[in-house]
Amino acid sequence: MEYKNVLTTCPYCGCGCNFYLQVLDGKLIGILPCKSHPVSQGKLCIKGLNAGDFVTSKDRLTKPLIKRNGKFTDISWDEALFLVAKKLKEYKESYGPDSIAVLSSAKCTNEENYLMMKFARAVLGTNNVDHCARLCHASTVVGLVQSFGSGAMTNSIRELEDADCILVIGSNTPEQHPLIARYILRAKEKGAKIIVADPRSITLVQFADYHLRHRPGTDVALFNGMMNVILNEGLEDKEFIKERTEGIEELKEVVKKYTPEYVEQITGVPKDILVDAARTYAKAERASIIYSMGITQHTTGVDNVRSSANLAMLTGNLGKPSTGVNPLRGQVNVQGACDMGALPNVYSGYQNVVDEKAREKFGNAWKVKLPEKPGLTIIEMMNEAAKGNIKAMYIMGENPMVSDPDISHVKEGLEKLEFLVVQDIFLTETAQLADVVLPGACYAEKEGTFTSTERLVQMVRKAIEPPGESKADWEIICSLAKAMGSKEFEYVSPAEIMDEIASFTLSYGGMSYDRLQKGGLAWPCPSKEHPGTPYLHKEKFSRANGKGKFFGIEFKEPAELPDEEYPFILSTGRIIFHFHTGTMTRRTELLNKEVPTGYVEIAHIDAARLGIGAGEFVSVQTRRGQIKTKALITERVPEGMIFIPFHFAECAANVLTNPAFDPVAKIPEYKVCAARIEKVKVS
Amino acid sequence: MIESIRDLARKWLESKEVDAIFGLKEQDGGVAPYLFTGRVNGISELGKLTTSTQYRRLCYTCRPSKDNILSLMQRREPNMKIGIVARGCEERALVELAKRGQIDLEKIKIMGIACSQEEAKECKCERPYPNNLVIGERVEGVSGDENINALLSKSLPERLAFWRHELSKCIKCYGCRDACPMCFCKDCKMEQKIFTETGSLPPEIPMFLFIRFYHISERCIGCGECEKACPVDIPLLTIFRQLRRDMKDLFDYEAGIAVEQESPLLTTLDESPMRKEVTSGV
Repeated sequence: MEYKNVLTTCPYCGCGCNFYLQVLDGKLIGILPCKSHPVSQGKLCIKGLNAGDFVTSKDRLTKPLIKRNGKFTDISWDEALFLVAKKLKEYKESYGPDSIAVLSSAKCTNEENYLMMKFARAVLGTNNVDHCARLCHASTVVGLVQSFGSGAMTNSIRELEDADCILVIGSNTPEQHPLIARYILRAKEKGAKIIVADPRSITLVQFADYHLRHRPGTDVALFNGMMNVILNEGLEDKEFIKERTEGIEELKEVVKKYTPEYVEQITGVPKDILVDAARTYAKAERASIIYSMGITQHTTGVDNVRSSANLAMLTGNLGKPSTGVNPLRGQVNVQGACDMGALPNVYSGYQNVVDEKAREKFGNAWKVKLPEKPGLTIIEMMNEAAKGNIKAMYIMGENPMVSDPDISHVKEGLEKLEFLVVQDIFLTETAQLADVVLPGACYAEKEGTFTSTERLVQMVRKAIEPPGESKADWEIICSLAKAMGSKEFEYVSPAEIMDEIASFTLSYGGMSYDRLQKGGLAWPCPSKEHPGTPYLHKEKFSRANGKGKFFGIEFKEPAELPDEEYPFILSTGRIIFHFHTGTMTRRTELLNKEVPTGYVEIAHIDAARLGIGAGEFVSVQTRRGQIKTKALITERVPEGMIFIPFHFAECAANVLTNPAFDPVAKIPEYKVCAARIEKVKVS
Repeated sequence: MIESIRDLARKWLESKEVDAIFGLKEQDGGVAPYLFTGRVNGISELGKLTTSTQYRRLCYTCRPSKDNILSLMQRREPNMKIGIVARGCEERALVELAKRGQIDLEKIKIMGIACSQEEAKECKCERPYPNNLVIGERVEGVSGDENINALLSKSLPERLAFWRHELSKCIKCYGCRDACPMCFCKDCKMEQKIFTETGSLPPEIPMFLFIRFYHISERCIGCGECEKACPVDIPLLTIFRQLRRDMKDLFDYEAGIAVEQESPLLTTLDESPMRKEVTSGV
């Protein structure tokens, strides 16, 4: 009998908790929290504690599948790889490399994301590679790079505990990042002031000193209002502004008109509360901003992100412990997938594809001439597919049929494709549309690394064998590249891939499996001796001139506002009991027991007016489509707003959402669109 | 002490007194429970056998099967004799598990080890030693608990406000239950809709956590794993320690001392087991 515990990183959100996979004679029998881990400290959320369930689900894909006459049948790996390679080569030759698009995955390891972007660029010859970061933090990557020069969480998770003030805006932290909420609550116990800015009355509000309940989509006005108060009262950090930043005049000019009175008109936040909150934030010795999709998923996503950066710089809350601008990333490896360059415009380490030097460096290493033009983003891929310009797609570990906005349009695009390959662990809603399905291994069955939201690179260790004939994604990509004739995918292990990553990526330069086996390393970690970096921008910012940049940003309304026909604001998001498209959590017994299907949150006053009773079926409609779901009558949403979790394909919130996107980051506006809700008549 | 443990483990394996040693293994910059069989890589593996204040207990209930790891092992190889490196709380857990038919103590050989005074203080442990003490010096337990005393000195509305605040932090991870060696019910009351509404946060106050307090009240062996597993630091052990005291005061019963001692809550009420009126309680 063999019993062992294999330490690994939780596959759900970006907290980067570690736990042990308990293995008895080769079988996964449970999850054991890891008490020595710096963030999780022997604690986990409900998803982490149940992260073994889906691994052993009977629904796992065990063989490559091919669709013939509308039905899937098993084929061998040799046949599948031969066919996919042949097809992709055909499209590349007949229609050019840019007729193919690739989706990489924030659920896969750094090594796999690196290989996927290398495959797209070096083998297919296109920069059409993107992943779901586009849908969550594209605005962070763009916005914080403009402000600071680096698009990631500036500080580390545990530092939060020692902050004197924490401003949580657009992050339902206790539900989406439970182990980060832990440190907010601990800070509170130590006397920190908590400011929650959220249209919904999330559970954190009960522990908050201030709740700024602004109208969805008015974040820029809210930030500008706080900065107006700070500047008016002389609470800004003049020395920090002078020494470390540029552009303050531009900012001052714009925020002048955002008086508390004016901001109250826009946001609905009473001016006295705004003033108090602004003073509290500005006067704190160490103030930290936490934000998430509540501010990024807007047509003004980049503006919102840069506004948070403005506020932090204005008060000198950067470059020291327990401060900073801290975007919480929603997927276990969405930070890593971005770092690895699974984006249409950059290689690993955010080296731009339009930069000739970068292109030459990677081109020489991979012995190929690399494409110059930045590729398409997710939303653009779907648009081009619908127009017939993208002919083939290779999707790894993503489920756009549930995750992307305006699903009917996504479906139209994917169905129009001549050839679709999906590589996943389950036959997802997206995989069902595929011509060929390749079975991948899940986190418990392969080796690699994940990068958490605090830039901490940590090991993923193999505990059990993948089911049936399924294989680790990195092995599949290598096999496919070889089948297409590439000689640059001869890796024997993920450790070797990490060595290649380290050699081309300065921020990962000092990383290797030898070091990571002993514990995580936070990037930048440029050399073998470097201990990693818990907080960024200590002496200077990462921008070329070392200064942080203020942007004067005017408030803009969301793309679609309520009107007579569609009088409600619809917002979407996650809940603690499920994760994203539900592929994993809906195959987990306890989570299904907690929340078996979707619902729409509606305020009492609205429900009463429309004659909707608790638990009754309602129809929710927008200009994109309509769904039928149950009403949850609650005080969590204010009057005039409804909220739908997006995990549930049978009543998919994304049938309704607006694909209008931020002009720069191209992130869709999941958080605001106009909707109508009515009771479903029982026939 | 660790050398004595390794030596004894080696002796037990070599003399075939046991087929395997269940203990903590040094790995990946930390420690984790492991079954040292002496078959994999030979007995030399015992060099990695260790103790740790982080994992004071090591036999957990595995989920989703809801079986204790030892009962899973025993079901798989019923004739295997397992030696287990056990502190006081671990031994009490084993006794309770055996009492409730979860494991066969006949096939388990306990290598009882004592906790240090410092460790006892950290856990506020009343019995920081096993009955079968084999290695280490027995130190006295901690009797008082300032958390309990502080609460008892407050008025009932103040206590209620305290617990309401603490319970409102709950994110319904079930981590307290998952960490508890006594939580092996196939049909857990915490998951049942008749007690607690599903899908909402915080879970119903106080029912969600209280149903477990009731259910575990006389089984609790006071190891504190529930509190250590709590992501929001709810002081669960304060409740359980008081429950253990109440069990002692009311029924002169303590969980985990001897397999033969039946729980007073499982006996018939032909004779009133109550010794005095309940007047305290945090």
